[in-house]
Amino acid sequence: MTAAKKLMSVRRDWRERDVRVVLAALIIAVATVATIALFASQLQRTLVSSASSFLAADRQLEAEDGRPVPEPWIAEAVKRGLETGRMVEFSTMVLGNDAFQLVSVKAVSNEYPLRGELEIQGDSEGSREQIKHGPARGEIWINPRLLKLLKIGLGDTLEVGNRNLTVSGLLLREPDGGFSLAALAPRVMMHADDVASTGVVQEGSRVEYVYLFAGKEAALDDYYKWLQPQLGPSQEWKGVRDGETLSRSLDRSESFLLLGGSLAVLLAAVAVAVASRQYALSQRDTVALLKTLGLGSAGIGQLYLKRLALWGVTGMVGGFVVALPLFWLLTLLLGEALGRPVAFQLDSSALTPALLTAVVSLFAFAYPPIRRLKNVPAMRVLRSQPGETGREAWPDMLIALVAVFGLIWLYAGELSLVVSLLGGLALLLALLAFLGWILVAMLRKVRGGGHAWRLALVGLYRHRRASLSQIAVFAMTLMLATTLILVRTSLLDDWQAQLPDDAPNHFLINIAPDAVDDVAGFWKERGQPLDQLYPMVRGRLTELNGQPVKEVVSKDQRVGALNRELNLTWMDSLPADNAIVDGRWFEAGQKDGVSVEAELAGKLGLALGDKLTFTIGSDKVTEAVTSIRTVQWDSMKPNFYMAFPPAGGLTDMPATWITSFYLPRDRKNALNEFSRRFPTVSVLEIDNIIERIQEIVRQVTQAIEAILVLILAAALVVMAAVVSATLQDRQREGALLRTLGGRQSLLVRSTVLEFALLGGFAGVLGVAAAEVAVWALQFRMFEGAFSWHWQVVLPIPVISALILALFGRWQLSPVLSVSPMLLLRRLE
Amino acid sequence: MQTINPDSQRPTLRVENLTHRVSLETDTLTILKGVSLEINRGESVAIVGRSGSGKTTLLGLLAGLDTPTEGTVELDGSVISGLSEDERARLRAHRVGFVFQSFQLLPALTALENVMLPLELASMDAPEMRARELLERVGLGERLAHTPRQLSGGEQQRVAIARAFASNPAILFADEPTGNLDNRTGQDISDLLMALNQEQGTTLVMVTHDEQLAARCARQFHIEAGELTEPVTRRELTD
Repeated sequence: MTAAKKLMSVRRDWRERDVRVVLAALIIAVATVATIALFASQLQRTLVSSASSFLAADRQLEAEDGRPVPEPWIAEAVKRGLETGRMVEFSTMVLGNDAFQLVSVKAVSNEYPLRGELEIQGDSEGSREQIKHGPARGEIWINPRLLKLLKIGLGDTLEVGNRNLTVSGLLLREPDGGFSLAALAPRVMMHADDVASTGVVQEGSRVEYVYLFAGKEAALDDYYKWLQPQLGPSQEWKGVRDGETLSRSLDRSESFLLLGGSLAVLLAAVAVAVASRQYALSQRDTVALLKTLGLGSAGIGQLYLKRLALWGVTGMVGGFVVALPLFWLLTLLLGEALGRPVAFQLDSSALTPALLTAVVSLFAFAYPPIRRLKNVPAMRVLRSQPGETGREAWPDMLIALVAVFGLIWLYAGELSLVVSLLGGLALLLALLAFLGWILVAMLRKVRGGGHAWRLALVGLYRHRRASLSQIAVFAMTLMLATTLILVRTSLLDDWQAQLPDDAPNHFLINIAPDAVDDVAGFWKERGQPLDQLYPMVRGRLTELNGQPVKEVVSKDQRVGALNRELNLTWMDSLPADNAIVDGRWFEAGQKDGVSVEAELAGKLGLALGDKLTFTIGSDKVTEAVTSIRTVQWDSMKPNFYMAFPPAGGLTDMPATWITSFYLPRDRKNALNEFSRRFPTVSVLEIDNIIERIQEIVRQVTQAIEAILVLILAAALVVMAAVVSATLQDRQREGALLRTLGGRQSLLVRSTVLEFALLGGFAGVLGVAAAEVAVWALQFRMFEGAFSWHWQVVLPIPVISALILALFGRWQLSPVLSVSPMLLLRRLE
Repeated sequence: MQTINPDSQRPTLRVENLTHRVSLETDTLTILKGVSLEINRGESVAIVGRSGSGKTTLLGLLAGLDTPTEGTVELDGSVISGLSEDERARLRAHRVGFVFQSFQLLPALTALENVMLPLELASMDAPEMRARELLERVGLGERLAHTPRQLSGGEQQRVAIARAFASNPAILFADEPTGNLDNRTGQDISDLLMALNQEQGTTLVMVTHDEQLAARCARQFHIEAGELTEPVTRRELTD
């Protein structure tokens, strides 16, 4: 290798500390961004497909009026390249082994399910199978509870209306076993083409026709645009995003991953900027010498540009080398959590942001100080020249700011988020530097303490410009990392709170008023007390202040709640997870008024005092809005848009009661006894859904933790970069101190103390700033309430002080192990 | 006694009315005042003076490392004070060699590579062979693969001397070449420098405050407060 080539070689560069920091920062940045981008796109695909499987399709069209939708609607969907399927749902009595039982029938076409899988047990051995089709014609699959209720077995015959169907499987899980309250009784599944021959479904029967659609998002959206104007009041279009719990989980995890991505970019950028400036400073002598030996500024520029390009390639390759196995691992874990293999699919478009990050980090953060190297005067070989005043660096900072802005915009995709994040950080940096300055100035006044203590204080004060920038940068890094930890913690707590392990997983519906006490007693005896029981009256909101609601509310504002019957209730006390946002809750003995759910009230533009008219059967009930309240829709408890006071407008209306409760899996047999004793009560089992949501949440958590580790690694690199900026000075001073007779232990103690103080200050400022940031973020992105996090926050300054103290001690090692003379010569 | 080459009567370096000022925050400091001199081909010249007298600045201007505020420097026929920085660099690559007080070797390169570097920068042929020859000539044939850290101060300066002569420069500038060395080593280094200078027929311009070393040059220029006093030849000194 020639000398000139060797000058440019990455292997040689690797020996330079600052280059190692730049490369490590680049690798971490690329790895973090690539992992996040790959995993987010994977998660998106998996969750959407897994959420789609809750619908057994990408979209559903439900017709609740007992009539199929016009045939041309389906033909149009097929014409637009969509896959379609259909289901018919109804309740009926079936006869098996001389016993009758009310069942909820789902009759499905050949195409069902378009998304997701069914789980059945096809033989008595008990092996479970996952399949992608419904029963064949002439066959029926039944909920295992029916085996005991009807005392039948696999291969026996079940009579559905006029038709005998063979029980060929036990239905363990259906992908769209969602918890629509219309579902009744134990489920059986048969073929849609067999429905006619049963004779059960007649004109006017209570039947729900459900159509399934799957295909490209754009095609689905276009189709809906075409379909929407033709939809009647009882026809509802449902998408994945309507599934509230899951879609909220998805949105939150996306927000979180993006936030993580932005922070990683910021941290990496800071590390790259600091380390390359340091590198540029260390290269000034070399550049002056090369100029003296005859290399022109163009040659110098080329030399360093080539080097930068090599760093970039190394960073990218290194980053992907780290990211790919990480992503592979996450994919594997995701598959494990979902109980099915998830394809390891590299979304090449997800790699673009990683490459862009590397290129932008290099050219916006590393290049500017290195570019200025060509201005180093050759005269420097004879006489050391004044260093940079810092004024030259202003344009660099402008470039860097624009670049950070652009990158984070690319990630978060939301301008206001970028502006508030960066604006906040800039303010913060200034504030941190100011507070740091006060702290350092105060320290100067501190008296007493041993030599080491005084030396440490003097050290902090003497390097106060460096100390301040270090404190500010450390504090910012700690703030970002702490914010992330806190947001993660509160995010997970939030999720956990939504779906605690004992979240209600069964609903009891259709409880007759006179059976309420018996039902409650039944479960109390078995140690599974019910949550609160609510009466439920089905009714439609038809008028608003005397005007038909469909005229008052424009079509764009129309909400699902207007298109179907609502479950109305009365209650005397506000449920614990509801909150009044306007008006007042019913007073004891109050008989008038209605409380409306806040989101619906917002969409309909309701205010206190507005008169709502409900049509219940053939009756009409009109009440004024007396309060507006928020509802925790994902609480897995009965929730209501409209609540009346007891003895209010709903009295005398035909009501059934509803409740939810938690039943552990191993006690599910109690349901059989329950169904026998209360044959008219419908049991809705949602435990499978809850388990899947919990698994997904756990999975996302794992991904977030993996990314958090990468981000913390980036934070450490930033620290290394910043400390290394004053390393030479410190080593030189240490060597001088030793030359002048300072004992090693004094040097160690004073350095360790100085770094511990730095770390402690930065820790205090960083966590304080993090609390403020979390408050803002929770307010802004996660719509959560704010709480202090002392238990997380308190140890951080201590840990930060410890880490920096250790770091300082480690950096001091060369000063201690080498003779002062050699060291001074080396540092010359 | 140095034999004067007939060619030496043609000046390699001609300086006219060289003035250099630097701006300070409140004031302007004049470091060199109207310096004029001529140095002939193959001549050895010492610039002597106290610390802060302006000798290093003068050396930098003569070598084209910096440009003067006023006046001209003509090196080997080119007016370097009128050239761009890159043009000056090109001229240095082919015509100028340097030896510094602090050696200025690149710590990442071996002795051999340090000597090869200027040859490669000037795109000369067979840089490795030439570098080996020179290192052997300065007595470091056994230490080609050593990095500067593995060499003593005297050895480092030998590498620097080998590097300075590598590209067959017309003129060699030396800044306190023995300043960082002990007497004995300094003596060896100045012997080597003078010997090589003579062998290669190079013009030598040396800044030093070591009077013994200065005395080995054919002429001496004394500089005081930025002004040149009359040049003194060795003959005059000996007389």
